[in-house]
Amino acid sequence: MGMIYLMLIVSLIIALFFLVSFFWATKSGQFDDDYTPSVRILYEDESIKINKQKTDGNTEV
Amino acid sequence: MSEEKCYHCSDDIIGKPIVFDTHEFCCNGCKSVYQLLRDNNLGNFYQIEKNAGVKPSESNLHKYAFLDVEAIRAKTIEFEDESTVRVNLYLPAIHCSSCIYLLENSPKIEPAIQSCQLNFAKREASIQFDPTKISLSGLALFLDKIGYAPNFGNRVQNEKSIDKQYLYKLGVAGFAFGSIMLWSFPEYLGVENDNPEFRNFTAYLSLAVSIPVLIYSAREYFVSAYKALKFKSLNLDVPITIGIIALYVQSAYSILAGEGPGYMDSFAGFIFFLLIGKWFQNKTYKMLSFERDYTSYFPLAITRLTNNEEEIVEIEALKVDDLILLRNEEVLPSDSILVSEEAKIDYSFVTGESVPVLKRKGEFIYAGGKLLGQRITLKVQHESNRSHLTRLWNEIKSEKETTSGFIYQNQLSYYFLIAIFLIALGASIGWFFIDPTQITRIVVAILIVACPCALALSAPFTFGNIMRLLGRRGLYLKNTNVIERMNSITDIVFDKTGTLTSGSTDKVELIGDELQFEEKNALYALCNSSTHPLSRGIVNYLRSQGVASKDEIENFQESQGKGISGSINGLDVNLGSPSYCNIVNKDSTETASYFTVGNKKGRFVFSSELRIGIPELMNRLSNYKLHVLSGDKDKDLTLLKSIFPHESVILFEQSPADKLNYITNLSLEGKKVLMVGDGLNDAGALGKADVGIAVSEDVFRFTPSSDAIIEASKLSILDQLLSISNYSKTVLLVCLIFSLTYNIIGLSFAISGNLSPLVAAILMPISSITVVILSTFLIQGKK
Repeated sequence: MGMIYLMLIVSLIIALFFLVSFFWATKSGQFDDDYTPSVRILYEDESIKINKQKTDGNTEV
Repeated sequence: MSEEKCYHCSDDIIGKPIVFDTHEFCCNGCKSVYQLLRDNNLGNFYQIEKNAGVKPSESNLHKYAFLDVEAIRAKTIEFEDESTVRVNLYLPAIHCSSCIYLLENSPKIEPAIQSCQLNFAKREASIQFDPTKISLSGLALFLDKIGYAPNFGNRVQNEKSIDKQYLYKLGVAGFAFGSIMLWSFPEYLGVENDNPEFRNFTAYLSLAVSIPVLIYSAREYFVSAYKALKFKSLNLDVPITIGIIALYVQSAYSILAGEGPGYMDSFAGFIFFLLIGKWFQNKTYKMLSFERDYTSYFPLAITRLTNNEEEIVEIEALKVDDLILLRNEEVLPSDSILVSEEAKIDYSFVTGESVPVLKRKGEFIYAGGKLLGQRITLKVQHESNRSHLTRLWNEIKSEKETTSGFIYQNQLSYYFLIAIFLIALGASIGWFFIDPTQITRIVVAILIVACPCALALSAPFTFGNIMRLLGRRGLYLKNTNVIERMNSITDIVFDKTGTLTSGSTDKVELIGDELQFEEKNALYALCNSSTHPLSRGIVNYLRSQGVASKDEIENFQESQGKGISGSINGLDVNLGSPSYCNIVNKDSTETASYFTVGNKKGRFVFSSELRIGIPELMNRLSNYKLHVLSGDKDKDLTLLKSIFPHESVILFEQSPADKLNYITNLSLEGKKVLMVGDGLNDAGALGKADVGIAVSEDVFRFTPSSDAIIEASKLSILDQLLSISNYSKTVLLVCLIFSLTYNIIGLSFAISGNLSPLVAAILMPISSITVVILSTFLIQGKK
């Protein structure tokens, strides 16, 4: 039975940990902008793409 | 119409295209942006999205000089040390994912920029740059050059922190909700009585984590209810607060008395769902900043002449009788008298009229006009904040306080409270005969289940979704309260120029000698070389007749404010004022451009044209009373009379103050007024009307402060937009019926004395979630 008390406390601590991380994430601005990052991630490797295009013989649209 | 579109900005190419790299461009600005992108391997810009490019405006080196004035620089900069400066700039031209690509890659183009990060929704760029390599004004100029002119008007910054507060509150409530539910599982499963010690332990834990929910997360409901009661009125937060308190007190009592965990799980869940509604309400479309006033339109600083020395000063520092210098494309910040010989002033932001006005020495020029052409000197007559237009603006400021909560809900809460009271009374009387000891428990249970949580959620979600729907159709609302005001409109007032009509150069008529094709060709070529709005009008007119000359002009001459002349294929062409062309002026009231081609002469007469779909719109709006207030002379009376229902009021020569008074009088008669206008001269009326809608050709350009902005091309579906807004009533009614059904089911449990924590824990979230889903589906399905 003593085990279940321990588990309860552990569950509370874990929940508190997530609450604190949520606060931290909010404070550091992770929820400020939920659009731009979704676009930004697509551009990451653009320099490679352009190089490839150039070797293709400058097929500009 | 020509098929040629600029490769960069996708505008129609007027005149000869500039060909570069096999692509065609409309102007050198666009070409150089393209060149810049190509040279820096950013050619992808054109593949990410169509119509990506923004045409860079013509700017001069002095345009951003005010940014180097220390006081302004300090206000703009966020952070500074020797090698890094960080600024947050508002770039209204940001409009698509290509913009993100270009701007975030701007360090490749301008090495002095260390990093650039965009917030698309807010149209803000957070830029770090090296102050030893580029100045703040240089940075602004660079952004302007690639088409993203920064706007330094004052903007409201505190929205962000409100949003975050809701997230914190939501976090606390969610944490408590989840934890308490977990600890309540033995209770749900009916094993509660096995171990009273363990049961007490979880109950006390629940009590502990629910305290921050009560004190922190739920506080605003108490505050709001208290405020309402203090002013002897009711809002929905009153029954909610009663429910919350009943829930909490009952649960805390049962925990402290050792009777089990009570309804703590429902309590936390309840606050959690309510806060989701509030958060959603706050989050709905922040695409447009509406908190604009005249200061965001006027420049921050201006060049002042003191003893022939140029000095850049803040607008606030301008005094009466100061001499100021205005350059091309700059906006006059205060009412002034012209000292230079003459000036062409574009008042399109003020009146919606696109043809510039010629002012001569000694004439009075109102603030808000934009100079076109050579620089001029002026003498200040009023300080900026006392000028004609800004006074009007200040008079009407903030009369429409945004009420917290929703009107319809606040009315409903009145009936709600009476109903709860009657039910509780009835149940008490009934239980008095069955078992008087149970009365308190039953009454508390009634208060708990009657709590209008689902109802509280229905409004923010319904109005929020309607707002998004309208946004997709081209009507952007300032906040959800506008929808409720829009639904009770009885009268619609229209401005004429710039609102019903699209600008006065659209309809062109050729009067005079019959012209041969070559002569039209010659006129076309000449007009094509000018950026004057009237020339553009003539070009469009001739193009619609199949003329598309690309001939060279010889001996091109431009005489500022008078006209242009040149020789095309041997034909001498003059175009401009009557005196410039040696023609006797016949009718001085019309807007016309005179010309001579070879030995023929004539004139182009311009008149305004109604926007497409306006006559049909007026037919469909027949269940509203319509009014037109025009600042012009009554030349369009017959045209307007023909399209408006005959009981409509059409008034001409209305000054901005007249318009404001007219709206005030309508309001006094008890009418609910919707005002549609555009320029600064409508600002007063837009602010006074119950709902003010500003018409804008380009949503990201300046519009006077208003409750909503409509894309000019979407004005013709105003009736549809109004009916979408009206649809919110139906959705709310359906939600109301559903949430009442749940309340009745809950009440039947409560009255019969069977409201166990499990029933409450199931019923409450289900009712809230159904209402949210219902309102979302009903509106999304409407697409």
